[in-house]
Amino acid sequence: MTATTTRVRPERKAVVQGSGRMKKPPGLPWILPALVLSVGLIYYGIGYTGYISTLNWDGLSPGAEHVGAHNYTRIFHDPVFWDAVRHTLVFFVVTFVIQTILGLAFAVILHAKLRLAAIYKVIVFVPVVLAPAIMAPVFRHMFAPDGELNAVLRHVGLGGLAQPWIGQTSTALPVIMFITIWEWTGVTFVLYYAAMTQVDPSVLEAARMDGAGNMRTLVSIIWPDLRGTTVALAMLGAIGALKTFDVPYLVTIGGPNYATEFLGTYIYRMTIPLSHVGYGAALSIILLVVALIMALALQFAGRERKGR
Amino acid sequence: MFEIRTRWGKTLLQVVATLLIIPYLFPLVVMVKGAFAGEGVHNFAAVLRVPGFGRFFVNSIIVSAAVIVLVYVVTMMAAFGFAKLHIRFREVYFWLLLACLTLPEVVLLAPLFATDTRLGLYDTYWAVILPLAALQVPFAVLLTRNFINSLPDELFEAARVDGANSYRGFVHLVIPLTRPIAAAVLIFTLVASWNDYLFPLVFLQSPELQTITLVPQFFVGEFSNDQTKILASAVITAIPEIVAYLSLQRLFERGLSAGAIK
Repeated sequence: MTATTTRVRPERKAVVQGSGRMKKPPGLPWILPALVLSVGLIYYGIGYTGYISTLNWDGLSPGAEHVGAHNYTRIFHDPVFWDAVRHTLVFFVVTFVIQTILGLAFAVILHAKLRLAAIYKVIVFVPVVLAPAIMAPVFRHMFAPDGELNAVLRHVGLGGLAQPWIGQTSTALPVIMFITIWEWTGVTFVLYYAAMTQVDPSVLEAARMDGAGNMRTLVSIIWPDLRGTTVALAMLGAIGALKTFDVPYLVTIGGPNYATEFLGTYIYRMTIPLSHVGYGAALSIILLVVALIMALALQFAGRERKGR
Repeated sequence: MFEIRTRWGKTLLQVVATLLIIPYLFPLVVMVKGAFAGEGVHNFAAVLRVPGFGRFFVNSIIVSAAVIVLVYVVTMMAAFGFAKLHIRFREVYFWLLLACLTLPEVVLLAPLFATDTRLGLYDTYWAVILPLAALQVPFAVLLTRNFINSLPDELFEAARVDGANSYRGFVHLVIPLTRPIAAAVLIFTLVASWNDYLFPLVFLQSPELQTITLVPQFFVGEFSNDQTKILASAVITAIPEIVAYLSLQRLFERGLSAGAIK
Protein backbone atom coordinates (compact mmCIF):
# COMPACT_ATOMS: atom_id res chain seq x y z
CA MET A 1 0.00 0.00 0.00
CA THR A 2 2.70 2.49 1.05
CA ALA A 3 4.85 1.27 -1.77
CA THR A 4 2.25 2.19 -4.36
CA THR A 5 1.67 5.68 -2.96
CA THR A 6 5.39 6.48 -2.88
CA ARG A 7 5.64 5.14 -6.36
CA VAL A 8 2.79 7.21 -7.69
CA ARG A 9 3.78 10.54 -6.16
CA PRO A 10 7.11 11.20 -7.86
CA GLU A 11 5.52 10.41 -11.18
CA ARG A 12 2.81 13.00 -10.73
CA LYS A 13 5.39 15.53 -9.64
CA ALA A 14 7.44 14.78 -12.70
CA VAL A 15 4.47 15.55 -14.90
CA VAL A 16 3.82 18.85 -13.15
CA GLN A 17 7.48 19.80 -13.39
CA GLY A 18 7.62 18.49 -16.91
CA SER A 19 6.13 21.62 -18.34
CA GLY A 20 8.55 23.79 -16.41
CA ARG A 21 11.57 21.60 -17.00
CA MET A 22 11.19 21.82 -20.72
CA LYS A 23 10.52 25.39 -21.70
CA LYS A 24 7.51 25.70 -23.95
CA PRO A 25 8.09 27.57 -27.19
CA PRO A 26 6.46 30.99 -27.55
CA GLY A 27 2.79 30.93 -28.53
CA LEU A 28 1.92 34.56 -29.16
CA PRO A 29 2.40 34.37 -32.95
CA TRP A 30 -0.01 31.44 -32.97
CA ILE A 31 -2.87 33.27 -31.29
CA LEU A 32 -2.24 36.54 -33.09
CA PRO A 33 -4.36 35.89 -36.23
CA ALA A 34 -7.38 35.00 -34.09
CA LEU A 35 -6.85 38.05 -31.90
CA VAL A 36 -6.52 40.38 -34.89
CA LEU A 37 -9.59 38.96 -36.61
CA SER A 38 -11.95 38.59 -33.65
CA VAL A 39 -10.79 40.81 -30.84
CA GLY A 40 -9.56 43.39 -33.34
CA LEU A 41 -12.70 43.60 -35.42
CA ILE A 42 -15.16 43.25 -32.55
CA TYR A 43 -13.54 45.62 -30.05
CA TYR A 44 -12.92 48.10 -32.81
CA GLY A 45 -16.61 47.86 -33.66
CA ILE A 46 -17.67 48.27 -30.05
CA GLY A 47 -15.32 51.19 -29.49
CA TYR A 48 -16.54 52.89 -32.66
CA THR A 49 -20.17 52.26 -31.65
CA GLY A 50 -19.41 53.80 -28.27
CA TYR A 51 -18.06 56.90 -30.01
CA ILE A 52 -20.99 57.13 -32.45
CA SER A 53 -23.38 56.86 -29.51
CA THR A 54 -22.30 60.32 -28.37
CA LEU A 55 -23.17 61.87 -31.74
CA ASN A 56 -26.27 63.15 -33.42
CA TRP A 57 -25.46 61.62 -36.79
CA ASP A 58 -27.33 60.31 -39.84
CA GLY A 59 -24.45 58.02 -40.84
CA LEU A 60 -23.46 59.92 -43.98
CA SER A 61 -23.09 63.67 -43.55
CA PRO A 62 -19.65 64.78 -42.34
CA GLY A 63 -20.80 67.31 -39.75
CA ALA A 64 -21.88 65.10 -36.85
CA GLU A 65 -22.85 67.00 -33.75
CA HIS A 66 -21.45 65.91 -30.38
CA VAL A 67 -24.27 65.52 -27.92
CA GLY A 68 -22.58 63.73 -25.02
CA ALA A 69 -24.89 61.40 -23.11
CA HIS A 70 -28.01 62.92 -24.63
CA ASN A 71 -28.86 59.78 -26.66
CA TYR A 72 -28.72 57.70 -23.49
CA THR A 73 -31.00 59.97 -21.49
CA ARG A 74 -33.43 59.94 -24.40
CA ILE A 75 -33.50 56.14 -24.39
CA PHE A 76 -34.75 56.02 -20.83
CA HIS A 77 -37.76 58.08 -21.81
CA ASP A 78 -38.41 56.14 -24.99
CA PRO A 79 -41.56 53.99 -24.62
CA VAL A 80 -40.61 51.80 -27.59
CA PHE A 81 -37.30 50.92 -25.91
CA TRP A 82 -39.11 49.78 -22.78
CA ASP A 83 -41.60 47.85 -24.92
CA ALA A 84 -38.68 46.08 -26.58
CA VAL A 85 -37.17 45.25 -23.20
CA ARG A 86 -40.50 43.89 -21.98
CA HIS A 87 -40.97 41.80 -25.13
CA THR A 88 -37.46 40.39 -24.79
CA LEU A 89 -38.13 39.36 -21.19
CA VAL A 90 -41.52 37.78 -21.88
CA PHE A 91 -40.12 36.14 -24.99
CA PHE A 92 -37.19 34.64 -23.08
CA VAL A 93 -39.27 33.28 -20.20
CA VAL A 94 -42.00 31.78 -22.38
CA THR A 95 -39.75 30.26 -25.06
CA PHE A 96 -37.30 28.91 -22.49
CA VAL A 97 -39.97 27.25 -20.34
CA ILE A 98 -41.89 25.72 -23.25
CA GLN A 99 -38.75 24.62 -25.06
CA THR A 100 -37.44 22.98 -21.91
CA ILE A 101 -40.68 21.09 -21.36
CA LEU A 102 -40.96 19.99 -25.00
CA GLY A 103 -37.26 19.16 -25.35
CA LEU A 104 -37.43 17.09 -22.21
CA ALA A 105 -40.62 15.37 -23.38
CA PHE A 106 -39.08 14.41 -26.71
CA ALA A 107 -35.89 13.19 -25.01
CA VAL A 108 -37.93 11.02 -22.63
CA ILE A 109 -40.12 9.72 -25.45
CA LEU A 110 -37.10 8.75 -27.51
CA HIS A 111 -35.45 7.03 -24.57
CA ALA A 112 -38.62 5.00 -24.13
CA LYS A 113 -37.98 3.41 -27.52
CA LEU A 114 -41.17 4.22 -29.34
CA ARG A 115 -41.96 3.33 -32.91
CA LEU A 116 -41.00 5.90 -35.58
CA ALA A 117 -38.58 7.47 -33.10
CA ALA A 118 -36.01 8.20 -35.82
CA ILE A 119 -38.60 10.08 -37.86
CA TYR A 120 -39.75 12.13 -34.86
CA LYS A 121 -36.17 13.10 -34.24
CA VAL A 122 -35.62 14.28 -37.81
CA ILE A 123 -38.83 16.34 -37.80
CA VAL A 124 -37.89 18.11 -34.58
CA PHE A 125 -34.32 18.74 -35.68
CA VAL A 126 -34.82 19.88 -39.29
CA PRO A 127 -35.98 23.40 -38.20
CA VAL A 128 -32.61 23.94 -36.47
CA VAL A 129 -30.88 23.58 -39.82
CA LEU A 130 -33.26 25.75 -41.87
CA ALA A 131 -32.55 29.47 -42.14
CA PRO A 132 -35.19 31.60 -40.36
CA ALA A 133 -34.99 33.99 -43.30
CA ILE A 134 -36.01 31.19 -45.67
CA MET A 135 -38.86 30.07 -43.43
CA ALA A 136 -40.24 33.56 -42.81
CA PRO A 137 -42.46 33.64 -45.94
CA VAL A 138 -43.79 30.22 -45.01
CA PHE A 139 -44.88 31.48 -41.60
CA ARG A 140 -46.35 34.66 -43.07
CA HIS A 141 -48.38 32.43 -45.34
CA MET A 142 -49.35 30.03 -42.57
CA PHE A 143 -50.53 32.72 -40.13
CA ALA A 144 -52.22 34.93 -42.75
CA PRO A 145 -55.97 35.64 -42.32
CA ASP A 146 -56.72 33.30 -45.26
CA GLY A 147 -53.75 31.10 -44.36
CA GLU A 148 -53.36 27.43 -43.57
CA LEU A 149 -53.78 27.70 -39.81
CA ASN A 150 -57.17 29.38 -40.06
CA ALA A 151 -58.16 26.89 -42.78
CA VAL A 152 -57.39 23.99 -40.46
CA LEU A 153 -59.25 25.63 -37.58
CA ARG A 154 -62.35 26.11 -39.76
CA HIS A 155 -62.03 22.58 -41.05
CA VAL A 156 -62.13 21.03 -37.57
CA GLY A 157 -65.06 23.22 -36.52
CA LEU A 158 -63.03 25.77 -34.56
CA GLY A 159 -63.66 28.55 -37.06
CA GLY A 160 -64.44 30.88 -34.16
CA LEU A 161 -60.75 30.79 -33.24
CA ALA A 162 -59.63 31.90 -36.69
CA GLN A 163 -58.06 35.36 -36.56
CA PRO A 164 -55.47 37.61 -38.22
CA TRP A 165 -52.60 36.17 -36.19
CA ILE A 166 -49.85 38.45 -37.48
CA GLY A 167 -51.99 41.54 -37.92
CA GLN A 168 -53.17 42.08 -34.34
CA THR A 169 -51.10 43.11 -31.34
CA SER A 170 -52.45 40.40 -29.03
CA THR A 171 -51.28 37.45 -31.13
CA ALA A 172 -48.23 38.82 -32.99
CA LEU A 173 -45.74 38.22 -30.16
CA PRO A 174 -47.04 34.68 -29.49
CA VAL A 175 -46.55 33.95 -33.21
CA ILE A 176 -42.91 35.06 -32.97
CA MET A 177 -42.49 32.87 -29.89
CA PHE A 178 -44.06 29.90 -31.62
CA ILE A 179 -41.64 30.21 -34.54
CA THR A 180 -38.66 30.46 -32.20
CA ILE A 181 -39.74 27.42 -30.21
CA TRP A 182 -40.32 25.55 -33.46
CA GLU A 183 -36.81 26.45 -34.53
CA TRP A 184 -34.86 25.62 -31.38
CA THR A 185 -36.56 22.66 -29.67
CA GLY A 186 -34.28 20.36 -31.67
CA VAL A 187 -31.19 21.62 -29.86
CA THR A 188 -32.83 21.43 -26.42
CA PHE A 189 -33.97 17.93 -27.19
CA VAL A 190 -30.62 16.64 -28.51
CA LEU A 191 -28.77 18.08 -25.52
CA TYR A 192 -31.20 16.59 -23.00
CA TYR A 193 -31.15 13.30 -24.85
CA ALA A 194 -27.35 13.16 -24.67
CA ALA A 195 -27.29 14.24 -21.02
CA MET A 196 -29.79 11.53 -20.10
CA THR A 197 -27.52 8.81 -21.43
CA GLN A 198 -24.97 10.00 -18.83
CA VAL A 199 -27.29 9.26 -15.90
CA ASP A 200 -25.82 6.43 -13.83
CA PRO A 201 -27.85 3.28 -14.66
CA SER A 202 -27.18 1.72 -11.25
CA VAL A 203 -28.87 4.68 -9.56
CA LEU A 204 -31.88 4.26 -11.82
CA GLU A 205 -31.93 0.56 -11.06
CA ALA A 206 -31.80 1.23 -7.32
CA ALA A 207 -34.65 3.71 -7.57
CA ARG A 208 -36.70 1.22 -9.49
CA MET A 209 -36.01 -1.46 -6.86
CA ASP A 210 -37.32 0.97 -4.27
CA GLY A 211 -40.54 1.11 -6.25
CA ALA A 212 -40.10 4.50 -7.98
CA GLY A 213 -42.22 4.81 -11.11
CA ASN A 214 -41.18 6.48 -14.36
CA MET A 215 -42.49 9.89 -13.32
CA ARG A 216 -40.81 9.72 -9.95
CA THR A 217 -37.49 8.69 -11.51
CA LEU A 218 -37.72 11.58 -13.96
CA VAL A 219 -38.47 14.21 -11.33
CA SER A 220 -36.21 13.04 -8.51
CA ILE A 221 -33.22 11.54 -10.30
CA ILE A 222 -32.95 12.55 -13.93
CA TRP A 223 -34.06 16.20 -13.75
CA PRO A 224 -31.54 17.17 -11.03
CA ASP A 225 -28.84 15.40 -13.05
CA LEU A 226 -29.63 17.58 -16.06
CA ARG A 227 -29.02 20.84 -14.21
CA GLY A 228 -25.80 21.65 -16.05
CA THR A 229 -27.53 21.29 -19.40
CA THR A 230 -30.49 23.39 -18.23
CA VAL A 231 -28.22 26.22 -17.09
CA ALA A 232 -26.36 26.15 -20.41
CA LEU A 233 -29.67 26.25 -22.28
CA ALA A 234 -30.90 29.15 -20.15
CA MET A 235 -27.74 31.06 -21.08
CA LEU A 236 -28.21 30.25 -24.75
CA GLY A 237 -31.87 31.28 -24.59
CA ALA A 238 -31.17 34.55 -22.80
CA ILE A 239 -28.48 35.61 -25.24
CA GLY A 240 -30.59 34.37 -28.15
CA ALA A 241 -33.49 36.52 -26.91
CA LEU A 242 -31.23 39.58 -26.85
CA LYS A 243 -29.98 38.80 -30.36
CA THR A 244 -33.47 38.18 -31.82
CA PHE A 245 -33.76 39.86 -35.18
CA ASP A 246 -34.53 37.71 -38.23
CA VAL A 247 -37.94 36.36 -37.23
CA PRO A 248 -39.66 39.53 -35.96
CA TYR A 249 -38.08 41.62 -38.71
CA LEU A 250 -39.20 39.31 -41.51
CA VAL A 251 -42.51 37.99 -40.19
CA THR A 252 -44.07 40.98 -38.43
CA ILE A 253 -41.62 43.84 -39.17
CA GLY A 254 -41.65 44.61 -35.45
CA GLY A 255 -45.33 45.42 -35.61
CA PRO A 256 -48.19 45.83 -35.54
CA ASN A 257 -47.82 49.03 -33.53
CA TYR A 258 -44.41 47.90 -32.12
CA ALA A 259 -46.01 44.77 -30.60
CA THR A 260 -43.07 42.61 -31.71
CA GLU A 261 -40.29 45.19 -31.48
CA PHE A 262 -37.12 43.70 -30.00
CA LEU A 263 -33.85 45.43 -29.20
CA GLY A 264 -32.29 43.96 -32.36
CA THR A 265 -35.11 45.11 -34.67
CA TYR A 266 -35.30 48.51 -32.97
CA ILE A 267 -31.56 49.11 -33.38
CA TYR A 268 -31.81 48.09 -37.03
CA ARG A 269 -34.83 50.34 -37.59
CA MET A 270 -33.07 53.31 -35.99
CA THR A 271 -29.73 52.75 -37.70
CA ILE A 272 -30.62 51.80 -41.28
CA PRO A 273 -34.10 52.91 -42.40
CA LEU A 274 -34.43 55.92 -40.06
CA SER A 275 -30.73 56.92 -40.14
CA HIS A 276 -30.65 57.86 -36.45
CA VAL A 277 -27.24 56.23 -36.29
CA GLY A 278 -26.18 57.91 -33.04
CA TYR A 279 -29.32 56.82 -31.25
CA GLY A 280 -29.02 53.29 -32.65
CA ALA A 281 -25.42 53.13 -31.41
CA ALA A 282 -26.48 54.17 -27.91
CA LEU A 283 -29.13 51.43 -27.97
CA SER A 284 -26.43 48.99 -29.12
CA ILE A 285 -24.18 49.85 -26.19
CA ILE A 286 -27.04 49.31 -23.75
CA LEU A 287 -27.85 45.98 -25.40
CA LEU A 288 -24.21 44.95 -25.11
CA VAL A 289 -24.02 45.86 -21.42
CA VAL A 290 -27.22 43.93 -20.70
CA ALA A 291 -25.91 40.89 -22.61
CA LEU A 292 -22.63 40.91 -20.70
CA ILE A 293 -24.30 41.30 -17.31
CA MET A 294 -26.71 38.50 -18.12
CA ALA A 295 -23.93 36.16 -19.29
CA LEU A 296 -21.90 36.83 -16.14
CA ALA A 297 -24.95 36.40 -13.89
CA LEU A 298 -25.89 33.09 -15.49
CA GLN A 299 -22.29 31.89 -15.43
CA PHE A 300 -22.22 32.75 -11.74
CA ALA A 301 -25.55 31.02 -11.08
CA GLY A 302 -24.25 27.93 -12.86
CA ARG A 303 -21.12 27.83 -10.72
CA GLU A 304 -23.07 28.30 -7.48
CA ARG A 305 -25.20 25.32 -8.29
CA LYS A 306 -22.25 23.15 -9.17
CA GLY A 307 -20.53 24.12 -5.91
CA ARG A 308 -23.41 22.91 -3.79
CA MET B 1 -34.13 4.22 -19.39
CA PHE B 2 -37.89 4.31 -19.12
CA GLU B 3 -39.83 1.12 -18.96
CA ILE B 4 -43.33 1.05 -20.23
CA ARG B 5 -44.67 -2.37 -19.55
CA THR B 6 -48.33 -2.22 -20.48
CA ARG B 7 -49.54 -2.14 -24.04
CA TRP B 8 -51.90 0.62 -23.00
CA GLY B 9 -49.06 2.80 -21.78
CA LYS B 10 -47.16 2.27 -25.01
CA THR B 11 -50.11 3.25 -27.17
CA LEU B 12 -50.83 6.28 -25.01
CA LEU B 13 -47.22 7.49 -25.28
CA GLN B 14 -47.24 6.95 -29.03
CA VAL B 15 -50.37 9.08 -29.34
CA VAL B 16 -48.88 11.83 -27.17
CA ALA B 17 -45.69 11.81 -29.22
CA THR B 18 -47.63 12.08 -32.46
CA LEU B 19 -49.72 14.98 -31.12
CA LEU B 20 -46.57 16.79 -30.01
CA ILE B 21 -44.91 16.32 -33.38
CA ILE B 22 -47.77 17.81 -35.42
CA PRO B 23 -46.90 21.48 -34.74
CA TYR B 24 -43.34 20.75 -35.88
CA LEU B 25 -44.46 19.07 -39.06
CA PHE B 26 -47.19 21.56 -39.92
CA PRO B 27 -45.02 24.47 -41.22
CA LEU B 28 -43.05 22.06 -43.40
CA VAL B 29 -46.29 20.71 -44.86
CA VAL B 30 -47.55 24.26 -45.43
CA MET B 31 -44.32 25.09 -47.26
CA VAL B 32 -44.45 22.09 -49.60
CA LYS B 33 -48.18 22.25 -50.16
CA GLY B 34 -48.09 25.98 -50.88
CA ALA B 35 -45.21 25.52 -53.30
CA PHE B 36 -47.26 23.05 -55.36
CA ALA B 37 -50.49 25.08 -55.20
CA GLY B 38 -51.86 26.70 -58.34
CA GLU B 39 -49.57 25.77 -61.18
CA GLY B 40 -47.99 22.79 -59.41
CA VAL B 41 -44.54 21.85 -60.65
CA HIS B 42 -44.52 24.86 -62.95
CA ASN B 43 -43.95 27.05 -59.89
CA PHE B 44 -40.55 25.43 -59.50
CA ALA B 45 -39.79 25.74 -63.20
CA ALA B 46 -40.70 29.44 -63.09
CA VAL B 47 -38.43 30.02 -60.11
CA LEU B 48 -35.52 28.13 -61.67
CA ARG B 49 -35.90 30.08 -64.92
CA VAL B 50 -35.42 33.43 -63.19
CA PRO B 51 -32.04 34.71 -64.36
CA GLY B 52 -29.56 34.97 -61.52
CA PHE B 53 -31.29 32.49 -59.22
CA GLY B 54 -28.27 30.17 -59.26
CA ARG B 55 -26.08 33.14 -58.33
CA PHE B 56 -27.54 33.17 -54.79
CA PHE B 57 -26.33 29.61 -54.24
CA VAL B 58 -22.89 30.31 -55.68
CA ASN B 59 -22.59 33.37 -53.42
CA SER B 60 -23.65 31.44 -50.33
CA ILE B 61 -21.11 28.75 -51.15
CA ILE B 62 -18.33 31.32 -51.63
CA VAL B 63 -19.15 33.14 -48.40
CA SER B 64 -19.58 29.98 -46.31
CA ALA B 65 -16.42 28.35 -47.71
CA ALA B 66 -14.34 31.45 -47.04
CA VAL B 67 -15.72 31.78 -43.49
CA ILE B 68 -15.05 28.10 -42.78
CA VAL B 69 -11.46 28.21 -44.06
CA LEU B 70 -10.73 31.41 -42.16
CA VAL B 71 -12.30 30.16 -38.92
CA TYR B 72 -10.63 26.77 -39.18
CA VAL B 73 -7.09 28.03 -39.75
CA VAL B 74 -7.25 30.81 -37.20
CA THR B 75 -8.98 28.64 -34.59
CA MET B 76 -6.64 25.67 -34.82
CA MET B 77 -3.59 27.90 -34.51
CA ALA B 78 -4.99 29.87 -31.58
CA ALA B 79 -6.27 26.80 -29.73
CA PHE B 80 -2.83 25.17 -30.08
CA GLY B 81 -1.13 28.32 -28.83
CA PHE B 82 -3.46 28.68 -25.84
CA ALA B 83 -3.32 25.01 -24.88
CA LYS B 84 0.29 23.97 -25.43
CA LEU B 85 2.58 26.96 -25.91
CA HIS B 86 3.99 29.60 -23.63
CA ILE B 87 2.10 32.89 -23.63
CA ARG B 88 2.47 35.68 -21.10
CA PHE B 89 -0.90 36.90 -19.80
CA ARG B 90 -2.47 33.98 -21.62
CA GLU B 91 -5.75 34.14 -19.69
CA VAL B 92 -6.13 37.85 -20.35
CA TYR B 93 -6.09 37.25 -24.08
CA PHE B 94 -8.45 34.34 -23.65
CA TRP B 95 -10.98 36.40 -21.70
CA LEU B 96 -10.79 39.18 -24.26
CA LEU B 97 -11.82 36.59 -26.81
CA LEU B 98 -14.52 35.00 -24.64
CA ALA B 99 -16.21 38.32 -23.94
CA CYS B 100 -17.05 38.43 -27.65
CA LEU B 101 -19.32 35.38 -27.26
CA THR B 102 -22.28 37.42 -26.13
CA LEU B 103 -22.06 40.04 -28.87
CA PRO B 104 -25.27 40.54 -30.88
CA GLU B 105 -24.28 41.16 -34.50
CA VAL B 106 -26.59 44.16 -34.81
CA VAL B 107 -24.15 46.10 -32.59
CA LEU B 108 -21.56 46.00 -35.38
CA LEU B 109 -23.81 47.43 -38.11
CA ALA B 110 -23.05 51.14 -37.80
CA PRO B 111 -19.27 50.96 -37.29
CA LEU B 112 -18.77 48.32 -39.99
CA PHE B 113 -20.95 50.20 -42.42
CA ALA B 114 -18.96 53.40 -41.90
CA THR B 115 -15.62 51.57 -42.09
CA ASP B 116 -16.54 49.42 -45.08
CA THR B 117 -17.59 52.40 -47.16
CA ARG B 118 -14.35 54.17 -46.30
CA LEU B 119 -12.18 51.17 -47.17
CA GLY B 120 -14.16 50.23 -50.27
CA LEU B 121 -15.23 46.91 -48.73
CA TYR B 122 -18.93 47.75 -48.81
CA ASP B 123 -20.83 45.54 -51.24
CA THR B 124 -18.03 42.98 -51.48
CA TYR B 125 -17.93 39.42 -50.09
CA TRP B 126 -15.39 40.57 -47.49
CA ALA B 127 -17.92 42.85 -45.81
CA VAL B 128 -19.84 39.69 -44.85
CA ILE B 129 -17.04 37.14 -44.53
CA LEU B 130 -14.89 39.05 -42.04
CA PRO B 131 -17.54 39.85 -39.39
CA LEU B 132 -19.11 36.40 -39.73
CA ALA B 133 -15.74 34.73 -39.14
CA ALA B 134 -14.89 37.13 -36.31
CA LEU B 135 -18.11 36.17 -34.50
CA GLN B 136 -17.55 32.42 -34.90
CA VAL B 137 -13.90 32.32 -33.81
CA PRO B 138 -14.28 32.91 -30.03
CA PHE B 139 -16.49 29.92 -29.44
CA ALA B 140 -14.56 27.73 -31.86
CA VAL B 141 -11.35 28.55 -29.96
CA LEU B 142 -12.98 27.81 -26.60
CA LEU B 143 -14.16 24.41 -27.79
CA THR B 144 -10.92 23.47 -29.54
CA ARG B 145 -8.69 24.67 -26.71
CA ASN B 146 -10.55 22.44 -24.26
CA PHE B 147 -10.06 19.56 -26.65
CA ILE B 148 -6.32 20.13 -27.16
CA ASN B 149 -5.87 20.61 -23.40
CA SER B 150 -6.97 17.02 -22.95
CA LEU B 151 -4.17 15.76 -25.21
CA PRO B 152 -1.13 14.76 -23.11
CA ASP B 153 1.72 17.30 -22.88
CA GLU B 154 4.22 14.46 -23.20
CA LEU B 155 3.18 13.97 -26.78
CA PHE B 156 4.29 17.47 -27.69
CA GLU B 157 7.42 17.27 -25.55
CA ALA B 158 8.45 14.04 -27.21
CA ALA B 159 8.06 15.65 -30.59
CA ARG B 160 10.20 18.56 -29.41
CA VAL B 161 12.89 16.19 -28.13
CA ASP B 162 12.91 14.63 -31.57
CA GLY B 163 13.69 18.06 -32.97
CA ALA B 164 10.26 19.05 -34.26
CA ASN B 165 9.50 22.77 -34.00
CA SER B 166 6.06 24.18 -33.17
CA TYR B 167 5.11 24.28 -36.82
CA ARG B 168 5.75 20.56 -37.30
CA GLY B 169 4.02 19.77 -34.04
CA PHE B 170 1.02 21.69 -35.32
CA VAL B 171 0.90 19.97 -38.70
CA HIS B 172 1.69 16.43 -37.55
CA LEU B 173 -0.05 16.34 -34.16
CA VAL B 174 -2.67 19.06 -33.77
CA ILE B 175 -4.27 18.85 -37.21
CA PRO B 176 -4.80 15.07 -37.28
CA LEU B 177 -5.70 14.72 -33.59
CA THR B 178 -8.33 17.48 -33.55
CA ARG B 179 -10.45 16.00 -36.33
CA PRO B 180 -13.49 15.17 -34.15
CA ILE B 181 -13.74 18.69 -32.75
CA ALA B 182 -12.93 20.22 -36.13
CA ALA B 183 -16.01 18.49 -37.52
CA ALA B 184 -18.19 20.20 -34.90
CA VAL B 185 -16.58 23.57 -35.59
CA LEU B 186 -17.09 23.07 -39.30
CA ILE B 187 -20.77 22.25 -38.94
CA PHE B 188 -21.78 25.13 -36.70
CA THR B 189 -19.71 27.56 -38.73
CA LEU B 190 -21.35 26.32 -41.92
CA VAL B 191 -24.88 26.64 -40.55
CA ALA B 192 -24.19 30.06 -38.98
CA SER B 193 -22.72 31.51 -42.17
CA TRP B 194 -25.16 29.83 -44.56
CA ASN B 195 -28.20 30.97 -42.55
CA ASP B 196 -27.02 34.46 -41.66
CA TYR B 197 -29.38 37.17 -42.78
CA LEU B 198 -28.43 40.50 -41.21
CA PHE B 199 -24.92 40.98 -42.63
CA PRO B 200 -25.85 40.15 -46.24
CA LEU B 201 -28.95 42.32 -45.86
CA VAL B 202 -26.95 45.36 -44.86
CA PHE B 203 -23.61 44.87 -46.59
CA LEU B 204 -24.49 43.25 -49.93
CA GLN B 205 -26.27 45.66 -52.22
CA SER B 206 -25.84 44.17 -55.71
CA PRO B 207 -28.04 41.18 -56.50
CA GLU B 208 -25.01 39.46 -58.13
CA LEU B 209 -23.39 39.22 -54.68
CA GLN B 210 -26.38 38.36 -52.48
CA THR B 211 -26.73 35.09 -50.57
CA ILE B 212 -29.65 32.65 -50.40
CA THR B 213 -31.16 34.16 -47.25
CA LEU B 214 -32.06 37.16 -49.39
CA VAL B 215 -33.92 34.99 -51.91
CA PRO B 216 -37.45 35.48 -50.45
CA GLN B 217 -37.03 39.24 -50.62
CA PHE B 218 -35.77 39.03 -54.19
CA PHE B 219 -38.76 36.95 -55.22
CA VAL B 220 -41.27 39.21 -53.53
CA GLY B 221 -39.97 41.80 -55.99
CA GLU B 222 -39.83 39.34 -58.88
CA PHE B 223 -43.27 37.76 -58.51
CA SER B 224 -44.95 40.64 -56.63
CA ASN B 225 -47.46 38.71 -54.57
CA ASP B 226 -47.52 35.23 -56.08
CA GLN B 227 -47.16 33.31 -52.80
CA THR B 228 -46.79 29.96 -54.53
CA LYS B 229 -43.62 31.02 -56.37
CA ILE B 230 -42.16 32.47 -53.19
CA LEU B 231 -42.85 29.23 -51.34
CA ALA B 232 -41.40 27.22 -54.22
CA SER B 233 -38.22 29.27 -53.93
CA ALA B 234 -38.21 28.57 -50.17
CA VAL B 235 -38.44 24.84 -50.84
CA ILE B 236 -35.61 24.97 -53.37
CA THR B 237 -33.35 26.90 -50.99
CA ALA B 238 -34.21 24.58 -48.09
CA ILE B 239 -33.43 21.38 -50.00
CA PRO B 240 -29.60 21.58 -49.82
CA GLU B 241 -29.80 22.15 -46.06
CA ILE B 242 -32.16 19.25 -45.49
CA VAL B 243 -30.12 16.92 -47.70
CA ALA B 244 -26.90 17.92 -45.91
CA TYR B 245 -28.54 17.29 -42.54
CA LEU B 246 -30.05 13.94 -43.50
CA SER B 247 -26.78 12.62 -44.92
CA LEU B 248 -24.70 13.79 -41.93
CA GLN B 249 -27.33 13.51 -39.20
CA ARG B 250 -25.05 12.60 -36.30
CA LEU B 251 -22.50 15.22 -37.20
CA PHE B 252 -25.10 17.96 -37.45
CA GLU B 253 -26.77 17.05 -34.19
CA ARG B 254 -23.46 16.89 -32.35
CA GLY B 255 -21.98 19.94 -34.02
CA LEU B 256 -24.99 22.19 -33.53
CA SER B 257 -25.49 21.07 -29.96
CA ALA B 258 -21.83 21.71 -29.21
CA GLY B 259 -22.31 25.08 -30.86
CA ALA B 260 -25.32 25.74 -28.68
CA ILE B 261 -23.56 25.64 -25.33
CA LYS B 262 -22.03 29.04 -25.66
